[in-house]
Amino acid sequence: MKVLIVDDSKPIFLMVSQMLTQLGHESIWAENGQDAFEKVNENSDLGLVLLDWNMPVMDGLEFLQKNEAESFCTAPIVMMTTENKPEKIQQALKHGASDYIMKPFTADIIENKIEMVCD
Amino acid sequence: MIRSEIYKFFSDYVYKNSGICYKENDYYRLDGRFNTLIKRFEVKDVEELYQLYVQKITPEMHQFLIDLCTNNETYFMRDLKPFKGFAKEGMSYLKETFPSAISFNIWSAACSTGQEPYSLIMATEAFGDSEDVFKMRIDASDLSSEALAKAKKGLYSGLEVQRGLPANLLIKYFSQVDDNWQIEAKFTSKIQFKAFNLLTDRYTPQQYHIVFCRNVLIYQDMDNKKAILENIYNSLKVGGLLFMGAGESLIGLDLPMEKFELGKAICYRKKS
Repeated sequence: MKVLIVDDSKPIFLMVSQMLTQLGHESIWAENGQDAFEKVNENSDLGLVLLDWNMPVMDGLEFLQKNEAESFCTAPIVMMTTENKPEKIQQALKHGASDYIMKPFTADIIENKIEMVCD
Repeated sequence: MIRSEIYKFFSDYVYKNSGICYKENDYYRLDGRFNTLIKRFEVKDVEELYQLYVQKITPEMHQFLIDLCTNNETYFMRDLKPFKGFAKEGMSYLKETFPSAISFNIWSAACSTGQEPYSLIMATEAFGDSEDVFKMRIDASDLSSEALAKAKKGLYSGLEVQRGLPANLLIKYFSQVDDNWQIEAKFTSKIQFKAFNLLTDRYTPQQYHIVFCRNVLIYQDMDNKKAILENIYNSLKVGGLLFMGAGESLIGLDLPMEKFELGKAICYRKKS
């Protein structure tokens, strides 16, 4: 499965990408919501989007709201962020996130969330 | 290099007291546990630890060792299907099979840190009929007192609540306490937690409508597995259901139970 990792931190992208490789998935990187919008349009075979919240240019919530209005992304979107307050989780789910991963996380949590969301 | 005599001493003790079986080629799995014991009892090395245990095993030393060797790895909604099957169709089955029952006795026989019994309630609320929760009487037991204390508390780390639990259920049933997550009091008060050794404690006959005994028998040898399952069979009511772990089955055991499907979940039904 091809996974789009949206995070302004390259070390985070590399870490998650490595976890996904071990789970048998391919990953591509977007640095922010705007970049992610372009990557989604260029990659019709995406199976999942892992989306950070706090990013420059367009943040995770703005990306969700844009997708809510334009429905350009058919792959499930899972938040992956340090924002861990219940209100934030609620807000992301309300705007179309399928699930939520709080940082820090481990590879087995990503695996588990993929099973739940992509089953 | 740890002497095989030491490995044998600890593996025999753990086997005798918990049924958990470390065969010779599994001895390496004790190494990390030895390190934890060395720190806990402030001894120099494995030799000193062995001397300490050989001389006298206090109740504290016993419990710490057993807690350490009890595999407490568990997820909320582990394997998901049994929980959905139980919530969506299991409760309907019970109502049809036991029409005069006012409540249904459910036993989570190796509940570890509580994720399984809590998942049963959450699954019933989320996937089944939430009114059914009032009909459930849940006992949850484990060998490890440390695991049980945590289960009773219902307080989990951010990592623990992310294992198996979808975010919508997390925010619905838990409140945040610093970086941890506390399950609602109505869940903790719903479950009777108790210490129970599946090998040595006494089972009450015909007590339960449903028993969950998952991912515990894989650590037992055939004789223990047989003994535990016979006891669980006896503790089930006729028509009652047994849920086992994904890799576990009754193959090779001569028990009057039949495979039974609840949605996508497979369980075993007591025939007579």
